[in-house]
Amino acid sequence: MSTPTPIPPSLAEPAEPSSAADATSCLDPVALDRLRELDPDGHNKLIERVLAAYLKSLDRLLPELAAARGEQLDLNVVRHVSHTLKSSSASLGAMALAERCADIESRARQQHSEGLEALLDAMLADIQQVRLAVASLAPTTP
Amino acid sequence: MKSAGPQLDDDLPARAKVLLVDDDEVNLLMTSAALQERGFDVTSASSGAQALDMIAHMSPDLIVLDAMMPVLDGFETCTRLREFPGFESTPVLMLTGLDDEASINRAYQVGATDFFVKSPQWSLLAGRLRYLLRSSRTRIELERSKARLARAQDLARMGSFEWHLGGGFTLAAEALRVFGRGPQEGLDFIGVMRMIPHEERTLFLRLLRDVIAHNSVLVTDLPVTLLDGRQRVVHIEAEPEFNEHGNANGYTGVMQDVTDRRQAEDRIRQLAHFDALTGLPNRRQLIWRVERAIEQARRGGHEVGLLLIDLDRFKIINDTLGHAAGDELLIEVGRRLRACVRNSDQVMEGMLETIGGRSHRTLEAVGRLGGDEFVALLPEIGDERDAERVAERVLEAMREPIFISGQECFVTASVGIAIYPRDGLTMADLLRNSDVAMYAVKSQGRNAAALYTPQLAGQGREKLELESALHKALERGEIVLHYQPKIDVRAARMVGAEALMRWKRGDKLVPPGDFIPLAEETGLIVPLSEWALKEAARQAKVWQLNFGFSDSIAVNLPSRMFERSDLVEHIHQCVSAYGVPHRAIQLEITENNLMKDLQNVIPALHRLNEVGVEISIDDFGTGYSSLAYLTTLPISEVKIDRTFVRDLGITPQSSAVVTAIIALARAMGLRVIAEGVETLRQMDVLHRLGCSLMQGFLFSKPLPPEEIEQWLAQTVLPRKAPWIAQAHSDFEGDPGGSLGSLSGGPLRPSGGKLL
Repeated sequence: MSTPTPIPPSLAEPAEPSSAADATSCLDPVALDRLRELDPDGHNKLIERVLAAYLKSLDRLLPELAAARGEQLDLNVVRHVSHTLKSSSASLGAMALAERCADIESRARQQHSEGLEALLDAMLADIQQVRLAVASLAPTTP
Repeated sequence: MKSAGPQLDDDLPARAKVLLVDDDEVNLLMTSAALQERGFDVTSASSGAQALDMIAHMSPDLIVLDAMMPVLDGFETCTRLREFPGFESTPVLMLTGLDDEASINRAYQVGATDFFVKSPQWSLLAGRLRYLLRSSRTRIELERSKARLARAQDLARMGSFEWHLGGGFTLAAEALRVFGRGPQEGLDFIGVMRMIPHEERTLFLRLLRDVIAHNSVLVTDLPVTLLDGRQRVVHIEAEPEFNEHGNANGYTGVMQDVTDRRQAEDRIRQLAHFDALTGLPNRRQLIWRVERAIEQARRGGHEVGLLLIDLDRFKIINDTLGHAAGDELLIEVGRRLRACVRNSDQVMEGMLETIGGRSHRTLEAVGRLGGDEFVALLPEIGDERDAERVAERVLEAMREPIFISGQECFVTASVGIAIYPRDGLTMADLLRNSDVAMYAVKSQGRNAAALYTPQLAGQGREKLELESALHKALERGEIVLHYQPKIDVRAARMVGAEALMRWKRGDKLVPPGDFIPLAEETGLIVPLSEWALKEAARQAKVWQLNFGFSDSIAVNLPSRMFERSDLVEHIHQCVSAYGVPHRAIQLEITENNLMKDLQNVIPALHRLNEVGVEISIDDFGTGYSSLAYLTTLPISEVKIDRTFVRDLGITPQSSAVVTAIIALARAMGLRVIAEGVETLRQMDVLHRLGCSLMQGFLFSKPLPPEEIEQWLAQTVLPRKAPWIAQAHSDFEGDPGGSLGSLSGGPLRPSGGKLL
């Protein structure tokens, strides 16, 4: 099966880990711009609400995932978590994380559990990076 | 870009209500914000259960469902949604992952309208939503219009059908209703064909083959018998369908129950084209048929026969038995005539062309022109014998008596035949010429048929011209009176004169025999007679002044004048106007005329007699007068008919008749005068038999009034005529024989009884 590429290359490209040590470098500026455009004058505090919702969902999903990584990996939970994180991460512009989630979701759906643990660990690392980026983004918003 | 916002399309509701369902808060927030910004009114739900709770009171125009949700996923939510009343066709957009083909298929299975791959490219999503709203609205309109159409078709008893070559005949529910079937009952092509009567079916299948062969439009009416036995007429209109290669592959169209319309049309057509009394084609329909027949004959180079059938003396039946009986008779005659030719009542405008071929044969018919006139149209005849044979059939059909009002009536007809193209090229010509031929039959004794010939037309035309000229003759002063003296041979003197009408037409003098019958036929005889009476009175006055005339001028009147109640008054006015006594006018009526209308004439005779106007019976001896009657009549004079006078001295019978008349008249105290005396021998015999009053060429032909005076002055008074010498020699020593004594006027009154 071909590798799924949920994000068009043109959008994914800026999401490649760059040499710049900027905390926000894991977030695609185009996606962020698009997000800002939805609430140009910040009147609706959309970005704060989205970021808060994102962090809240992480707080809910990560314990679920941890619980699923016992003796036996619960692929259904893995699938649900990776699916949810996939689209919300993509919405924020966390393209590397979104791609990682898509890969995991696809494997989980096909019951391919080999190497999944390593991928999940990588995902958690990605999440950590995104958390940092989100935290650094938050104060700049009005 | 500062968005004035790519708003929703103008033709969509201002802000479409969208229910957005996603368990992921982030997506919900962002998608909601993106759609709000693009003009949608978004309500969010974070689970399927919440969405199902909300839809009832928010009634969204569109629902966006995330496929992957915990507990109640998008598919299950969609399935339940569709079960809500009113949400059967609300557009539902299912959000799926790009790689998720199974989800896409499932989305459609659970009734989602469309799917959309999750993407943060909001404009794509908004575009898709607008598209869904638009198509939903179009679909709703389509549903409504379908419902309206179904209702309209139902009212119009109409339904659509499709028919594909190589099988596949589908009737819409409405079309099934046309054939009296429910929506679930099937009806295939064979089933429809079974409902059509056999002959019609054959025709229809032929038409169908033809239409298919030419890829042409199918339009026809089919009579059908429904399962419950009702007879209906179904109108079919269908157009060919073509595949991508341009080949016809079937028909689509509509069927409609047009029975009521057809019945109404039939009624209208019946009224417009058929005679209400007899049910035969009426004048209008006949004209149409004849014109079509002529058209076809011109193309086909054959002959058309037109028979004009007029009942003889129908008026008498109508007058004596009443109009109801007359109508009854016409109905029976119509029925019999109908049997004499083939009749096709169904031939109508526009049908001939479709029948084609020898269709003009179907024009053959008997119709009623009006009154007691019928026409038989023979659209193709071999020769005139064919037409004559039909005419003979017509006459034969009349031979059986007709029972009306309990009476046995014998009816005969006169038939005139005209043939296209020989006797006319148009309907009007043929009708006129058949009329001429028919009148020729009438004048030759009726109850026969005659072919038109140009000679007949000549007579007819002459008569027509004569009639119109006669109308003007009186006012133009072309009518004059000539006078023939009445002579008393014993006294060799004029004892009166008979006025005879002449028509000075140009330089021709038309004899009375040529125009008096026509005048009687047309009724012109009345004004002519009235004029003659006045003119005679005037002449009496002129002569009175010129030579002391004091006798009578006799004017011939037809019996109908005697029936006029104002005759006496009219004569009174005439004589008063010129200051002459009533007896200056004498009236002559022929014996036949008198006897024919005796009852009607007698009262007038009495009144005339009372005022002093004498009556003379003309042509006496030719009729079969009852002697008993004669004695009761107030008459003064009988005129022995010229035929007896002519034979006097030749056949002994004639002198016997004359002797008898004279004896009779003498017994009744009547004057006797002999007409048409042309020879001295006749004069002698008459004289010897005791008749001395005479009139004829021997004495004088009828003359203009001035010439009468001349004749008196140059012949009578000088006693130069041979008859005077003869008479004188015969009656020498006659005591009253002071012939033409000039003293006291040359012509003294003839006095009362001479015999």
